Amino acid sequence: MRLSKILMAVGLSTAMMIGSAQADSVKIGNVVELTGGGATVGINWKNAVEMAFGEINAAGGILSRKVELTNYDTQTNAQNSRAMVQKALDNGSYVILGPIYSSSTKVNMILTRRAEIPQIVGSEAPFITTAGNPYIFRTSFGAAQSMPKLAAYLKDGVKASSVGVVWVNDDFGKGGRDTVISELKKRGVKIAVDISTEVGQADFASDVIKLKNSGADAIFAYLHEEESARLLKEIKKHGLKQPVVGETTLMNQKVIDLAGDAANGAKGHVGLSADAPVPAVKEFAKKFEAKYGNKPDHNAIKGYIAAYTVKYVTEKLGKFDSKAFAKALHGMTISPKNEPGILMEVTWDDKGDIDRQSFLVEVVNGKQKITQILPKLGK
Amino acid sequence: MRLITIIASLAVLALLVVLPFNLKNYGIYILSLWMVYSIAAMGLNLTLGYAGQVSLAQAAFLGIGAYTTALLMKAGYPFLFGFGLSAGICFCVGLILGYPALRVQHHFLAFVTLGFNALVWLVFRNEEWLTGGTYGLMGFPRPSFFGIDTTNQVAFYFFSLTIFVLLAVILWWIVRSPWGRAFQALRENPIRANSLGVDIRRMTLLAFAIGAAYGGMAGSLFAPLVEFIDPQSFQLNTSLMLLLMVIVGGSGRFLGPVIGALLVVLLPEWLRFTEGMYLIIYASLVMVLLAFCPSGLIGLYERSVAALRARPSGSRGSEKP
Repeated sequence: MRLSKILMAVGLSTAMMIGSAQADSVKIGNVVELTGGGATVGINWKNAVEMAFGEINAAGGILSRKVELTNYDTQTNAQNSRAMVQKALDNGSYVILGPIYSSSTKVNMILTRRAEIPQIVGSEAPFITTAGNPYIFRTSFGAAQSMPKLAAYLKDGVKASSVGVVWVNDDFGKGGRDTVISELKKRGVKIAVDISTEVGQADFASDVIKLKNSGADAIFAYLHEEESARLLKEIKKHGLKQPVVGETTLMNQKVIDLAGDAANGAKGHVGLSADAPVPAVKEFAKKFEAKYGNKPDHNAIKGYIAAYTVKYVTEKLGKFDSKAFAKALHGMTISPKNEPGILMEVTWDDKGDIDRQSFLVEVVNGKQKITQILPKLGK
Repeated sequence: MRLITIIASLAVLALLVVLPFNLKNYGIYILSLWMVYSIAAMGLNLTLGYAGQVSLAQAAFLGIGAYTTALLMKAGYPFLFGFGLSAGICFCVGLILGYPALRVQHHFLAFVTLGFNALVWLVFRNEEWLTGGTYGLMGFPRPSFFGIDTTNQVAFYFFSLTIFVLLAVILWWIVRSPWGRAFQALRENPIRANSLGVDIRRMTLLAFAIGAAYGGMAGSLFAPLVEFIDPQSFQLNTSLMLLLMVIVGGSGRFLGPVIGALLVVLLPEWLRFTEGMYLIIYASLVMVLLAFCPSGLIGLYERSVAALRARPSGSRGSEKP
């Protein structure tokens, strides 16, 4: 009898503790690629998000409520990502972060839109923000923002009059390819050859021979990290002398690690880089490397920024209101002066696309070297 | 025995009716997905399990059904029209795919069907004018019946459940009909079946065609369930997943693919708490199961029931000196 009373009391107080802890915390769902083909990018994002919310919680949380972060694994599978976003919504997420793969985002963003919950993604394919979804926000440039910069660079910086385009045939690659080709044509640059490749392709010999025979002045490569490294190696093997230009992935640290010497000389446009000459980014990179033992890639920076965006917008609103959050973030500019965690000043437009400083880089001696800083478009 | 089967089926059905009211949207979505995959796996079970024809093309039929329905619904046709046409198209394509099966068997047939799956996938991806290419198709509404809109997860669940039960009953009938016996005869010994007057040619083609039609009908449900389709969903790995469902559940057993699909769809969910370990556990479980019980989960169940029944008589026997 007495034992049961004690047990009851313990049970009740535990329940109350759990209850009060839940009332004091806010749930955020992080739906991201933790296994499968996208695991390398997804884990970078996840680690940075965990690091950011760890810092935020240590500093007292958001509006003095602790963040309760739950990770959901999409397995780099679009159908599964939809199920995971549904689960995150069922669990009462205030905001959803991720995923990174555009092919996943396009499937699951229907759900967040229906539930009126903001979703901050790492995807770059153009159609994410052209569908008129008021709840979707990017953390990096979409191809529609970065490709005009690249096309201008190919024409004026590289002085190419014809370009061979190599791209990966999925949502990411196709979106980039379509945009860059139209931007190049607009500037009077000829497309010497247009080569589609597969996700996970191992042998690029025939593609490189096509590039060699095309007589293009420059090569534009828009592939995922592993495939970029294989292409660069093959290009070196065949002794092609044309400059290889790309967007973010081509100059990624992972590509440099995998391709070794062959990556030297690769150049192009990067939205975010751990080597950016921005003290806040450098400091973040140092913290991240100390904690996880690897240099953060651009996806880690995206995740970190996403977490701090949640904090800043909520504190600005002064309440946890998902609908108002989405409304407020459209047209908002967040400066590191107001929120150091945002790292670089960033503006969201009415579609959820971002505008931010970006960089032209070249791989020199196995390291990204920033050759030029491109200002925000709106400035 | 028959009464027990009927009571058990009714109990399971009652459970499936009650379940969605106790689940959140996510759980209901997963259950709907399970029913859709079950339909496709039931079709494959007919081709592979009953008639013994190895097919790695079930995802292609799932895709043909999904694209047919999505395109028709986008053009404003009612769902049931798309559903019927999906079944019809897949039946015909399955019939054509069955022809190579008349000439090649086993792993050769697996390669023929694998090639077909790759071909269909390439059509989905490259014929942009029709299929939307890599970007896929979206923006087709979920169907509504008698004024009930299935955009609601529960409504769509009951809609899937109705079709699932209907198709399961039809397959139950096929398997028990002379056709079903002929399929099994074909699997066990085609030459003997032929000598007994079974038209092997017709039965092989039919096994493919009916299996494919089930794949098409599953695809037809898949499109409005996910509300989005792209070529990725119908790649070879989906065919392999469906094959896994049939084999893990118990190939050639009526409930095999349904149990297999339940395991393949739900096990990752149950193992989620293990985080990074789940793929290792999952793969090991499948390997152990298939090494020790090649007849799948249903086979395991049958063996345990047989062992339990055998035990009393065995112990009685040992009591006697």
